[in-house]
Formats: sequence, C-alpha cells, structure tokens
Amino acid sequence: MNRTVLFVGVAIAAVLLGILFLGLGKNPNDIRSPLIGKQAPSFTLREVGTGRLVDLATLKGKPVVLNFWATWCAPCWEEHPVLVANARMFEPNVQFLGVVFQDEESKILNFLQQRGSSYPTVVDDKGKTAIAYGIGGVPETFFLDANGVIAAKHNGPMSPDILQANLQKVMR
Amino acid sequence: MGKKIVLLLVVTLSLGAQTLKVPDAAQFVGQPQGTPVTGAQLTRRTNEIGGLLRCPVCQGMSVADSPAEMAVNMKGQVHELLQRGYTEEQILTYFERSYGQFVLLRPKFEGTTTLVWLLPAVALLIGAAVLVVTFRRLGRVPATSNQQPPTAPDDAYLSRVRDLVSGGKS
Repeated sequence: MNRTVLFVGVAIAAVLLGILFLGLGKNPNDIRSPLIGKQAPSFTLREVGTGRLVDLATLKGKPVVLNFWATWCAPCWEEHPVLVANARMFEPNVQFLGVVFQDEESKILNFLQQRGSSYPTVVDDKGKTAIAYGIGGVPETFFLDANGVIAAKHNGPMSPDILQANLQKVMR
Repeated sequence: MGKKIVLLLVVTLSLGAQTLKVPDAAQFVGQPQGTPVTGAQLTRRTNEIGGLLRCPVCQGMSVADSPAEMAVNMKGQVHELLQRGYTEEQILTYFERSYGQFVLLRPKFEGTTTLVWLLPAVALLIGAAVLVVTFRRLGRVPATSNQQPPTAPDDAYLSRVRDLVSGGKS
C-alpha cells in the first residue's frame, strides 16, 4: 500500500477517534445553560396550598435558589430533605423557591405534607416557565444572585456539597 | 353602607391583586415581526417549526414528533407564538435563548457548528479524490506488456499433473 495514503488514512482516523473519545467522555445531559449571566426570566405563579401569588421580582435583594421538580421524579425525592434543611439553615439570607410542572396539585400537597417543607412551592401550569428556563428534565436548580441574575445552574439531584458550593457563588 | 363596604373591598382587592404571569417570548425576542397565522396554515407551520426543534426529554426526536409532555408544551408554545405573529426566526431564537443551540435540530452555520456542515463535504471530497487516484493507478498498463509472459520454472509436480491429465500421452 502507498505509504502516503496509509499515513493520511491513519492521521484522519486518529483525529476522528480522538473526537469520538472526547465526546463519549462527556455527559450528554450536561449542557451549559445559555441563561447563566443573564437576568432570570420573570414570573408570577400560584403557591400550592395557599393560592398566594409569588412574584419572582419581589425576591430581589437576596440570593434565590430556584428548584424545578415534580412528584414523579425519583431524584427529586432524594434531594428534597437537602433543600428543606438548607432553606432553614440559610433563612432569611437566602430565599428558596420550588417550581413544579407537569404534575397534579393534590399530589404536590400530599408530597409536601408527608416530607415537610420550609419554603414556598409554586405551580407552573402549562410549563411555560419551565420552557423559558430551558428545563429538559427534573430536578434542575438555578442559583440567582441578589440582583436576579442567574449565576449557576445544576442538573440533577442536589447534595449538600453541590448546594453549598453554588451558594458561595451567589452569596458574595 | 353594606354595599359601600363591599364595593370598597372589591376595589381594594382589584388594585392590590397580582395576576398570574409566565415568562413571555417578548422578554427574549421582542414584539412579533410577522403576521399572525391561522387555520390550516397554522397547523402546518407549527409542525414545520416543531420539526426544527429538538425535544429536550427524548433527545433524538423533534418537538413535532415527541410524545413527551415537555415537547407537547413546546409545540403548544410554537402554535401560540405563530398565532401572535412571531416569525420562524424569532421562535427559533426564543427557544435557543432558553436551551442553547442544542435545541436546534438544524445547527447554525457559525462558530464550531460550521464543522457539522463542512466536515461531511470535506470527507466526501477526500474520498472521491482517493477513488480517482486509485482507479487511475489501476488503469495504467505496465510498459512490459509486449514481452512474453514469464514461464513458470520447471516444476516436477506440475509435470506430473500434466502427465496425469493428458493420460500419460505427453
């Protein structure tokens, strides 16, 4: 076989394999949000249980942990105690807010009554808020600074370490 | 007096009442720049634009085809934005601003995504060049074609086979 052809073929294959290797090493769900560094989309949604309207804009002045979840999501069950405990720990310096979509209010209330809650949970009826935030699955958590700018986002269940590491970014 | 109190309460509640508000496309892409779409064209355009968006749940499917509730909601959003007069470009930009370029099934021709468009064409050209060169080489007739083909060296085994085949008449 012509050595030049062999060399070129091997070089091309090596480049393609390198790209494939890099790609396979990445988590396909770990997509950086284009909203980081931008003002969080505003919304006013109804709180589960009380019917009170919660306006995100009124929470400016302190960092906000905005957690999208649903009762049918198993990892959401895992992270719920972490969020409840940390919400109590950081109160009143940090506001936690849960947003539930694609769910039923009775199930949400039942979940919160059984597992406890220390912060408001609102319902995003038609998922428009979730779409605006680029939600692909639950749970997904946004960390807003005191000016309402999204400083960080975490996909997947929250652990104490991940939560506190991201809170450091918004509590400066 | 009772009526006055009720009226006062209604007015107070109305003034102080908030309304439900969800993020609107206007926050991301401004006011509609096209004309509202209705009827059969609305359904057709909703499916066309839905076919250009990736379902964030069932990532191999378009929003138009995916049965996931998130995709259904997104398709509903496309439908509504078309009714309000948003253009295809505005609608795609709206979803891109929320989800990033990943949501576009047809990547943009900019930045690193230009590779997605260029690499297949480059690979095709390289492949075609290799084929052309290879076929040209195969088509070349050797300069020694006028000479007699070389004879096989004496082979006792070959001779024996020939004898057997010809019935020992050689």
